[in-house]
Amino acid sequence: MSELNSIQVQVAGLSKRYGRVLALDGVSFSLGRGEILGYLGPNGAGKTTTINVLCGLLARDAGTVQVCGVDVAADPVFVKSRIGVVNDTSNLYPELSCRRNLEYLGELYGLARATRRQRAEELLGMFDLETRAGDRFGTLSRGLQRRLTIAAALIHRPEVVFLDEPTVGLDVPSAKSLRELIRQIHAQGATVLLTTHNLAEAEALCTRVAILVRGRILAEGSVNDIRSRFGKVQSLSVAFSGPVSEETLLASCPAVRAAAISDGAWTLDAANLHAALSQLVALADRLELTVIELSTSGASLEDAFLSILQQQDHAGAKG
Amino acid sequence: MSALQRALSISRKDVESYYAKPPLITWGLLFPVVLLLAVYLKDQQGYLAVCPGILAMTLLFGNTSMAAIVVTFEKRTGTLDRLLLAPLSMRTIVLGKALSAAAYGVCTALVLAVILGAALGMPLARPWAFVLGLALGAGIFSLFGLAAAVLVREVFEAMTLLNFFRFPLLFVSGVFMPLDTMPGWIYPVALASPLTHVVELLRWGLFGQSALGGPWIPFAACAAYLVAAWLLAVRLFQRRLIQT
Repeated sequence: MSELNSIQVQVAGLSKRYGRVLALDGVSFSLGRGEILGYLGPNGAGKTTTINVLCGLLARDAGTVQVCGVDVAADPVFVKSRIGVVNDTSNLYPELSCRRNLEYLGELYGLARATRRQRAEELLGMFDLETRAGDRFGTLSRGLQRRLTIAAALIHRPEVVFLDEPTVGLDVPSAKSLRELIRQIHAQGATVLLTTHNLAEAEALCTRVAILVRGRILAEGSVNDIRSRFGKVQSLSVAFSGPVSEETLLASCPAVRAAAISDGAWTLDAANLHAALSQLVALADRLELTVIELSTSGASLEDAFLSILQQQDHAGAKG
Repeated sequence: MSALQRALSISRKDVESYYAKPPLITWGLLFPVVLLLAVYLKDQQGYLAVCPGILAMTLLFGNTSMAAIVVTFEKRTGTLDRLLLAPLSMRTIVLGKALSAAAYGVCTALVLAVILGAALGMPLARPWAFVLGLALGAGIFSLFGLAAAVLVREVFEAMTLLNFFRFPLLFVSGVFMPLDTMPGWIYPVALASPLTHVVELLRWGLFGQSALGGPWIPFAACAAYLVAAWLLAVRLFQRRLIQT
């Protein structure tokens, strides 16, 4: 498959203004087939605006947007037939049953009667809603409404799924089970664009992330890439076979900025993880001790995200 | 599935969700029945003259209101976005919404006509013209209701906007007073009113006579208004629902 064919979403120089507010300022990113891209940013960053442009609900001011190889403004009906969209609200028909909601949406997507019935049953099973199939959507709990809303977006087996804050407002078990469903959707071959405030969720689900701040993408890459580029905190946990004083440790390991001991194990804040590791091994050799426990933890995506926001704030203050 | 089939799916869903609910059916029937009963009690010979006007008024208020309420409600709940996200043209969406509202109007008016025919002896000289008048009137007023709904955010705003157009129409369209008894200066205004032509087409259907001489002028005017209302509704849906 050529690279061109493998790109499912291509956004270049996308700009959108609401009156005097520049909501999107030259946003560019692409999404390859089978990827889950986390589209992250603080409130008002422009995440929902991007999704609305991508799915044809909002006209753009500048830039190009192609979904499944087609410009959404040129042929919105084609693009809509290839995508599934879950808004940040559960917006199915409250007076219709779960099954009827799915079948009705199947009709709108042009599925034949037998196909839509079969697909509705399949989705009710996949989302564990079989026992509630005859209940009206409006009577479901918030978590179940969210599940059915995601199921509805999949009725036509879309190639690309846009999920806008899918777990927002859900309790922990509901959010966890929805994350599992998102993994399943991805495993079945869908390409997913996920917007979320929950960075742990993005870290757990996404193959790549793009960080959007005030309408501009400030960082894009794999989760590990973003963590290593922008995460400042890197910690090490190490235990030696004999005692080591804090002074000795800090003097022998210049790459370690701070150290604290608890239950015989040191937790170290490293300026440079690789250098700190080799210095610790050299220290153990010199003191004729053995390293009996060693673990590292890099910066979390949250650390990296906060670091990016701080950099942006500093740049804004200077500007 | 064709665009028409998808439009029919939208209509079927709307009938199921809104129009077939007992409160709406009684709301659509109660007001005209009571009004006609009052006119009948006052003048048992003359009440027939206002039947076409009251049936047309039922369509005007019922269809504009219900179409506007449904769309405004769906905008508020976000369910209209479901339609906008489906692979449907705006024409298909407008057709689906208008068909369900129009079906509601036609059915309500037919039930009313049956009641009037059976209980008070209302005649039906040209059934085809009567049904055509109901269908055209229901279509025109549903499309106007849809157009109003996308211009506003709240139901009360839609009603206020529609009232600016509905009440003047009632006054000039020969609903309670035959056209030929109205002051001369109103006549050209009356001819420009879609309600006048719906009333006259219904009058032809019921009595085989019309203040405009026959069924063809009101029919042609209603058809022209239907096309104009269709173009207006589609254009407003395109401009107001896809945000720029």
